Amino acid sequence: MKWRKWIRILHRDIGYLATGLTVIYAISGVAVNHVDEWNPNYSIERSTIKLDSIPSLEKEAMIKYILNEIGETGKIKNSFRPAPDKLDIFVEGNTISVNYTTKEVAQEKMASRTVIRESNFLHLNAPKKVWTYVADVFAVALAFLAISGLFMIKGKNGITGRGAWMTALGILLPIIFLIIYYY
Amino acid sequence: MRKLILSLLAVLLITGVSLADGKKYGTGVTLKEVTKISTIFENPEEYTGKKVVVEGMIVDVCSKRGCWMEIASDKEFEKIRVKVEDGEIVFPLEAKGKNALVEGMVEKIEMTKEQAIERAKHHAEEVGQKFDPASVTGPEVFYQIRGLGAVIK
Repeated sequence: MKWRKWIRILHRDIGYLATGLTVIYAISGVAVNHVDEWNPNYSIERSTIKLDSIPSLEKEAMIKYILNEIGETGKIKNSFRPAPDKLDIFVEGNTISVNYTTKEVAQEKMASRTVIRESNFLHLNAPKKVWTYVADVFAVALAFLAISGLFMIKGKNGITGRGAWMTALGILLPIIFLIIYYY
Repeated sequence: MRKLILSLLAVLLITGVSLADGKKYGTGVTLKEVTKISTIFENPEEYTGKKVVVEGMIVDVCSKRGCWMEIASDKEFEKIRVKVEDGEIVFPLEAKGKNALVEGMVEKIEMTKEQAIERAKHHAEEVGQKFDPASVTGPEVFYQIRGLGAVIK
């Protein structure tokens, strides 16, 4: 049948076009699905050490002293005093919080999760603007791939045979979870 | 076909570079006049519900969702929180220590003791610190900016 031939051609070519974004969305989907268990954009390492003593120094000298004590050699971006006995030092990839009272120095080292962060950026539509419409087109393309896929094969493995049962199972799965968790 | 795809990729890359160059978040900054953070804190009721632009160093960013950041005031030991809708604007963690212009509405947040405990607990979890409910002694009132846009320099 001619229409089935066209379905196959469109399914094939739209499928090729959708491959990149599907993989990106799949990566990000898993990453953000577990947002309560991990940070999907950054790996963050926190540690705290206690110094024996902290000398009384001017801010700039204090920054040098603290960085030397913890062996931090990164580029200093800025510093801030959130309280009279506290000092935050911002270094590339590290935030150092000093507490003069407790003599504790806390570090928060972070690194961007390459590929996953970029995937999340697109998947969660952070760019907005034109990307919103690209994502809309992609969503329509995915719907087309799903529906056209039903009619690509005829016979006992097609939608009138095995395909019908498999499709029904796929629809039933979210309904079961809706009944359990939603209603 | 190959030429078409390569041309398309080139256009996308060029567009991507120009987009990445802009460090505007949300609606950016539209007001011309910058209000000092210390001025807001001196008379917060006067500013509540009003749109302002503040400027200062970013001293903290929500590490989980990038849904808030704190801006240092022009006055020592003072800062203001800028909260945005989750997912609407995502502030990057790398912004800490950089300067920002932020536009948004000043809002007054009133919390019962229970709400304040919940908020402090949530914050402690975010930064991986231990939380002691006794550290919250009663209801809390604070002012923050409901962020609409920002420019991070």
